[in-house]
Amino acid sequence: MFGSSESAYQSEGTRDDATSVDPASFPLVERGNQYEDFAEGDSFAHHWGRTLTEGDATLFAALTLAYNPLYFNAEHARAEGHPDLVVHPLLALCTVVGLSVEDLSEAGGPFLGIDGVTFHRPVYPGDTLTASSVVVDRRESEKRPGDGIVTWRTEGRNQRGEVVVDLHRTNLVRKREATA
Amino acid sequence: MTCFEDFAVGDRMRHFRGSTIHEVEGQLLAKLVMNSAQGHFNEDIMSRTPFGQRIVFGLITASTVIGLATQDTAEDAIAELGLDRIRFRSPVVHGDTVYAATEVLETAPAPDRHDAGVVRFKHWGFKPDGTVVFEGERTVLLKRRNPPDQEIA
Repeated sequence: MFGSSESAYQSEGTRDDATSVDPASFPLVERGNQYEDFAEGDSFAHHWGRTLTEGDATLFAALTLAYNPLYFNAEHARAEGHPDLVVHPLLALCTVVGLSVEDLSEAGGPFLGIDGVTFHRPVYPGDTLTASSVVVDRRESEKRPGDGIVTWRTEGRNQRGEVVVDLHRTNLVRKREATA
Repeated sequence: MTCFEDFAVGDRMRHFRGSTIHEVEGQLLAKLVMNSAQGHFNEDIMSRTPFGQRIVFGLITASTVIGLATQDTAEDAIAELGLDRIRFRSPVVHGDTVYAATEVLETAPAPDRHDAGVVRFKHWGFKPDGTVVFEGERTVLLKRRNPPDQEIA
């Protein structure tokens, strides 16, 4: 079907077909940083930010079986003194880490650990989280010469600039010399 | 109802339900939280790595394990206070089933309220063959069933 001259995918008046272009020859837009890009004290204001909606909150709580009704029953949450459903703190954590991934860990290397996570204040549907990080440690991996080990302190803030969650994250990070 | 008084240091429990982590738990939640690492959602790229397939975002595994433990540890919790020593011991892929187990590490009065207490749990997530995929500590603020009389200042 894709090679057919009657293909609905071929618009009239063009000579393009499924084989007339070689995408592999186009330059790749690279993403992510590598070990050499991190020096102690470097800071990153991560991209985008994310407004957490009631839909996000309910979906996350339901799919992770977070059976505390604060996270999916607004009447219960209000009776407990909250203005609305509470966004599960783990959704706030996952989102803050998610926003940091391109800058910190997308170029490869698994999670080694997360330490010292503090949930400072509740997040409610409609709150917008932003994330930033600082490199707190960087060292060579003894076991894996192609990798380094980097630790960042990451924090997430709401739209009022209040810290809602902070943490230390450590990953294996590929060295550029190893991938060159 | 889960209350502060229900927990003593050293208590252990295995939670009733497990959860199979599939597309909607794995790649959907990774994308929902803006995790841009394609190892979580690009099967083509991952088929050419030693993993052979996508791996589940570790914090989704952590969230699932903590979720499996929530009814027994925090069904009526006032708040989640924090996490510590989160480690991912082996990768989870779509189709894996995880179970959860918990030990009580510490109980303490809440520093600023007499009607609640703080419990620190250790959680493990494991596969049916016993392989540990996740471990970590979690601190929760729980109501007291019988709050002591207002403390004398």
